[in-house]
Amino acid sequence: MMAGILWLLLAVMGGLAVLPLFASGYIISFTIQIFMWIALAGSWNLISGFTGYVSFGHVAFFGVGAYTGALLVTQAGWHWLPASLAGCVPAAALALLIGYPCLRLKGPYFAIAMLGLNEVVRALVSYFESFTGGGSGISLPPILSIAPVYYAMGGAAVAVTLLTYRIITSRFGLRLLSIREDEIAAETMGINTSLMKLYAFLLSALFPGIVGGLYAWYSSYIEPLGVFPLLTTITMIIMCLFGGKGTVLGPVLGAVLLSVFQELVWARFLFVHQAIFGALIVAVVLLMPRGIMGVLQERYRLPRTV
Amino acid sequence: MPEGHILEVREVTKRFGGVTAVNHCSLAVQPGKIYGLIGPNGSGKTTLFNCITGLDRRDEGEIRFKDERIDGLKPHQVACRGIGRTFQIIRVFPELTALENLLVVSRKGGLAGNCQRAMELLEFVKLDRLQNEYAGNLSYGQQKLLEFIRVLMTDPELILLDEPAAGVNPTLLNDLLGAIRKLRVQGKTVLIVEHDMKVVMGLCEMVFVLDYGEKIAEGPPEVIQANERVMEAYFGR
Repeated sequence: MMAGILWLLLAVMGGLAVLPLFASGYIISFTIQIFMWIALAGSWNLISGFTGYVSFGHVAFFGVGAYTGALLVTQAGWHWLPASLAGCVPAAALALLIGYPCLRLKGPYFAIAMLGLNEVVRALVSYFESFTGGGSGISLPPILSIAPVYYAMGGAAVAVTLLTYRIITSRFGLRLLSIREDEIAAETMGINTSLMKLYAFLLSALFPGIVGGLYAWYSSYIEPLGVFPLLTTITMIIMCLFGGKGTVLGPVLGAVLLSVFQELVWARFLFVHQAIFGALIVAVVLLMPRGIMGVLQERYRLPRTV
Repeated sequence: MPEGHILEVREVTKRFGGVTAVNHCSLAVQPGKIYGLIGPNGSGKTTLFNCITGLDRRDEGEIRFKDERIDGLKPHQVACRGIGRTFQIIRVFPELTALENLLVVSRKGGLAGNCQRAMELLEFVKLDRLQNEYAGNLSYGQQKLLEFIRVLMTDPELILLDEPAAGVNPTLLNDLLGAIRKLRVQGKTVLIVEHDMKVVMGLCEMVFVLDYGEKIAEGPPEVIQANERVMEAYFGR
């Protein structure tokens, strides 16, 4: 079973690696979007799926990364790839700064604090107009070929998934799960829960920062409302829950299935697609609260590490 | 430390608003013995446990473990110094498997290296066949046993058990009592909160009695049983 899954994954990866050679521009950009969602939903999973601390402001790391990448390209003349990678630095700094006080908050209080964080960061970006361009945003040079972005975004998706696998098969991963299960018991058993949460939060902020930088380069133009939308956080959450929180392949499945679903429905039912999407989410939460992977794991007795 | 005290609670007071849950309570525990902590409901037993393990911060007094002050430390720091505890209400990790419940609390070595020890403990309480079952799917008694061996997994010197016998059927109870006696043989120190007097009398060498947060008696079980103040606290005048 495990070997089968592994082979399937390798085959899919092989297919994706050669996709830009023959696929249309539409397919490639759609796949880039899926990669982006895999990386974002997978990152959200690292803090919220594992420890149960629901972050409603994760797009803040994405936005900070996008602005870092855009500024490094336009102001400092960096190449887009290192500029995007550098996006993880301010994202990590922000995670440390915010995580240290806020991870002490429990349940809905943490969620709301994170929601506030995103609004604050967006307001700051809009306010410092001379530096960030304010509401009129930043324009980047147009990209000539999207294949490099495709591979970079794909790399981010793979890296997040491998990182998740590495964590879930480690004691660190078990410790994060024990925080979700019963934080007081975990603490009493000698687990430094504050530190573990901070590590998880830090790791969960890195890739949204990088992906944000790639997004800025790929879309050639960013503005505060475009890179700090609450909807992006909500989409990450839904994808992760749909696929299965606290699992390796859950965010991947959630990102792929929901992106494809949304694309198909959007094309056919232009006006009601959001209603259909919403109904699907309600159905999923009611019928399989542990997501697709949760159902599969229960039915086929799969280990958690899938 | 053969002669000294492994745990010393000195004049500890803990208040919650207007309620004094623990009131100038002192007790000393020697290594290698099994102690009981009894008292009517609301007498402050669990609060005292919480103060020792750092879950509640004492308002006054000091707590020493192996001559080091531990009041003011965080729960995980207390735990890492060698104090383990179980809870009155079961607190296993329901969506981790029985085996993972043990591995997660291990501190040194790789996960694979700790597997053997974990499996030995599961065998010890006859849960080895359920190693890959989610802890939440186990029966009440099995969860109680799992929580008990989870403490042993961290190999603490002092073990605080909060009502280990409550809700455990007689057969399991005998296994559990046997396991606790075995700990004594291994040189562990055990402090048990328990309501079942038969358990306390059969297991403990020394008993502390709390009433309204104050220690009203201490001594060997047979002496405690005859103590007038204790009878009064339990059964009324």
